[in-house]
Amino acid sequence: MSTTYTIPVGPVHVGLKEPITAWLELEGERIVNARVRPGAIHRGIEFMARERNPIQVIYLSERICGICSFSHVICFIRAVEDLAQMNVPVRGQYIRSLVLELERVHSHLLWSGVACYTIGFDSAFHLGMQMRERVMDVLELLSGNRVNYGVATFGGVRWDVTPELEKALRGMVRYYRQEFTPFREIVMEDPVAQARMRNVGVLTRDEAVRYSAVGPTARASGLRIDLRKSSPYEAYADFDVEPVVPQDYFGEAHGDVLDRFAVRVLEVYQSLDIIEKILDGLPEGPFVEEANLNKVMASLKKADGTGWGIIEAPRGDDTHIVSLKGGVDNVLWWKVRAPTYANAVSWPIMFRGNELADAPLIINSIDPCISCMERMLVTDEREYRSEVVTRSELVKRSRQKTFELGSLKSKYVPGGGAEQ
Amino acid sequence: MTSKFKKMAVDCETLVAALKAKFADDIVRLDVREHRGGSLNEVQSRDLWIEISRTAFRPFLDFLFEYDFVDFHVISGDDVGIADAVQTQTQSQAQDQNPDGQNQEKPQEDSVLLHYHFSLFQRSRCGRMGVTLSVRVPKGDLSVPSIFDLLPGSEYSEREMHEMLGVEFVGLPNSALVFLPEDWNEEIKPWRRDGVGPALEALRELS
Repeated sequence: MSTTYTIPVGPVHVGLKEPITAWLELEGERIVNARVRPGAIHRGIEFMARERNPIQVIYLSERICGICSFSHVICFIRAVEDLAQMNVPVRGQYIRSLVLELERVHSHLLWSGVACYTIGFDSAFHLGMQMRERVMDVLELLSGNRVNYGVATFGGVRWDVTPELEKALRGMVRYYRQEFTPFREIVMEDPVAQARMRNVGVLTRDEAVRYSAVGPTARASGLRIDLRKSSPYEAYADFDVEPVVPQDYFGEAHGDVLDRFAVRVLEVYQSLDIIEKILDGLPEGPFVEEANLNKVMASLKKADGTGWGIIEAPRGDDTHIVSLKGGVDNVLWWKVRAPTYANAVSWPIMFRGNELADAPLIINSIDPCISCMERMLVTDEREYRSEVVTRSELVKRSRQKTFELGSLKSKYVPGGGAEQ
Repeated sequence: MTSKFKKMAVDCETLVAALKAKFADDIVRLDVREHRGGSLNEVQSRDLWIEISRTAFRPFLDFLFEYDFVDFHVISGDDVGIADAVQTQTQSQAQDQNPDGQNQEKPQEDSVLLHYHFSLFQRSRCGRMGVTLSVRVPKGDLSVPSIFDLLPGSEYSEREMHEMLGVEFVGLPNSALVFLPEDWNEEIKPWRRDGVGPALEALRELS
């Protein structure tokens, strides 16, 4: 006898502007269908921008996301620079790319740590969190802030790379090269972690294309796309960036959580290489075209038209479209498409056929912010009974599954997937 | 399910020529923007900005799908009202002299302008071409064909444009609210600049 439960997971505050509730239909523990409803804290940021001038919107766009704040700023600024035909000095381009890569390292380290926490691998979680501190220290040295850096402006950046910062950056690269490999090996070669992540939350290559998946989620499904290669912006024009795809490392792409983990972890090494190249090739010269904001504002007031900014943020491509009207101070309209907006469309496919205890891991695997996931409501349609399952209980379920697997470790055949 | 994508990659000039040859009467505006960067300041990518008449919108997209990997990003849009007619004046005058033209643009009409953002040719270095396809939808008949059947990934964007601007997407299976609260009055479309938009007294200043 089967009973179907419908379980809303969320609202999940994904850390961007998309908090998402997932309604999971269950047969026993197995998810048979899923529907997704975002919108629990849509803040209307795009509407708010209509009351602000472009310079004020830089700081508004920085507050879309707490982790990839700089990506949104650069994306917004590039959209305005596109429509107003503004130039950025080469040194400014290099510093922008530098901060974008630091942000990628920060974001991927945070994510891989939290993914370990979700499956109950606490020692790896602490290790990940500890390593993340180093890149945050460097960002703080650059800008004075750990999260919203306030570094970028129209036509360049606001802070320069000092010799002191360069020393700290080179030290950071050395530190990660040394410390990150043990972390990667501890997690990716652990049979229990492999069993929890392999063949869980699968998104095939075709589905990734049709459902417009982006970034590491698309690459984990085997799609060789990366905007840093296909349309190099800022300093990426001077470096060859190859998309990191699992088939180059595992022989084939499964499109599962382990592949998403692998792509992000390997991209950290790639980012370290890019940071080093940026430091080696950092050109001399000005880092901003026009530092006087009154002059910038006056030229933006004359600008008229629509601009498009698109960059490869840590979670995938981030798209901003901005429209300005000549003679008007404020932004006419602005559209932000954060990567999760695109990736969340494929959630229902990833959920199908997995267990309830895998749901937190799958939600997490596209890199939203699971720590804000508040509660779940379990509804038994037959008995008209409903109960609220708290976030901690949900995470407990996910962690419990790993511990049960751990006790079966001797029976686990490596490479055999998550068969219990 | 197999994807519908073909592997035909061409350069910008060839694509523009092909589009102009096929949709000469329907293209209202076509611009190419170049993006330069790096120490040599060379062209790193190109964006194509095309405005197309509403009747040719779906045939145009089907034609675009003949090319390599049409990647959908988002739909943006604005309530342009009737003030935005200046840009297309020349085009409309040209069409006035040609009364047989089936796809006559009426820029004077109160309308919503939608922009569909796609990428093409992402396989090679510097190969990507951004395509922004704009279509003007008059408020009298605020509907466009949905592209959900081509790319289901467009679902959220179409639902968002439906709830924010009131555009009907014909063929979209689920056009329920996506970002607005469950108890939102669906007669109010937040991004509209006319009577359908939120009233001033409904706005709350937070700072």
